[in-house]
Amino acid sequence: MKKKIGFVAALILFTVAILSTRYYMVDLPVYHFLGGGEVLDPATLHLRGEFVESNLGAAEGPSGSLTVRMIAQQFVFVPQCVEVPVGVPITFRMTSADVVHMLSFLGTDYGLKVVPGAITEATFTFAKPGTFKIPCHEFCGAGHYAMRGQLNVVPQDQFASLLPSERRTCELR
Amino acid sequence: MNYASRAPRLRIVMRWLGTLVALCVITVLLARRDSSAQSSVKSASAKSASAKPVNAEPMVRIPSNVAWTVQVVNTASGGDAFRGLLLARRCNHCHGEEGFSSVPAFPNLAGLDRLSFWKQMQDFRSGKRSSPVMQPIAEGLSARDSADLAAYFAMLPTASDPQDNRAFPQAMHQPPRASIAIRLIVFGDGQRGIPPCQSCHGPVSYVKGAPPLAAQNGAYLEQQLEHFSDGNRANDINVRMRSVARQLTAEEKTAVSEYYGAGLGPGVNSR
Repeated sequence: MKKKIGFVAALILFTVAILSTRYYMVDLPVYHFLGGGEVLDPATLHLRGEFVESNLGAAEGPSGSLTVRMIAQQFVFVPQCVEVPVGVPITFRMTSADVVHMLSFLGTDYGLKVVPGAITEATFTFAKPGTFKIPCHEFCGAGHYAMRGQLNVVPQDQFASLLPSERRTCELR
Repeated sequence: MNYASRAPRLRIVMRWLGTLVALCVITVLLARRDSSAQSSVKSASAKSASAKPVNAEPMVRIPSNVAWTVQVVNTASGGDAFRGLLLARRCNHCHGEEGFSSVPAFPNLAGLDRLSFWKQMQDFRSGKRSSPVMQPIAEGLSARDSADLAAYFAMLPTASDPQDNRAFPQAMHQPPRASIAIRLIVFGDGQRGIPPCQSCHGPVSYVKGAPPLAAQNGAYLEQQLEHFSDGNRANDINVRMRSVARQLTAEEKTAVSEYYGAGLGPGVNSR
């Protein structure tokens, strides 16, 4: 009887552990067995799917929402610089082309873990305008310490005055 | 505890084993269902690439048809160096007897790694990298020929014989901008998003498709950096080299090219 209780408890714990991965910031590859996430081949990102190079950067969705698609790879973020408006929820969709990377927006509380084969999605709202560096926080190789991107948070009227071609990326300074 | 009397030990073991096997079977079934769904999608898109649009967006720019899957890496690196030696006769006129070209604008092929050489040949063939000279030549080579050539050139020593090849190194003296070049090659510039050259191009570490630069011609390097930064050459996967080259100033491009072209880059003789 005791053993049966233990077994059932272990099963329940196992199920809870698997299901709880859904609420992590990262879409863990384990979860794909249950059909929940999207699987990408890190080697073929440039051939098909939403991470082809013409689709990277900030893009406006149908309902006016802003989505930023980025690739983290050894040892650059692509695109290296993104410009977004202040006070608007911005959805980041990221994937890695090689190894695990991690990034934080320096000066804010936000960060992301980027895993090859999976899409990391998170929505952040930046409260104040400014320039935020995006360093890589997970050791990814010899050039790790020089892997840095940039996020420019600009006032909404300034963002509205940008041309569509200028909205995708910006110049890193 | 005398459960041995309640149930024989064998039965307990079998019960646990059964549970374990059942869990394994369920996991494998789920995994198979997942992967079969994927592979059917993949094969469908491969079969009717023209009938079915690969992407919903109309303007999809594909930088290179090469993707570093396991099969591609095996093809690119599984060449026969002897066959490559025979094929390489037609390369000698421009790229030199031992892979050291006599014209600084043509790249040295000695000591190039197999993957980067093979990828460039495929990109010339598919027109992803344009060159009026190399495109017709590459069109006459199959994927296997390119792999054989890659195996041959990878074998050649990166130190040139000074009596045979007077063009490389172009200047053995210390180039005037050496300090700029060393800083970029060894440390990069994190503030501007420039990783160190040696973290991808060796000898510290390599990424797939990045050529070693230790024995490369300076004029060729500078020209390619220009092409990467102004977009004339756009066959790097996931905009990697274009992002870096765009951040470099004209002086930095010259400095790095001169330094490698003088045969001073790290990794000479190490491969």
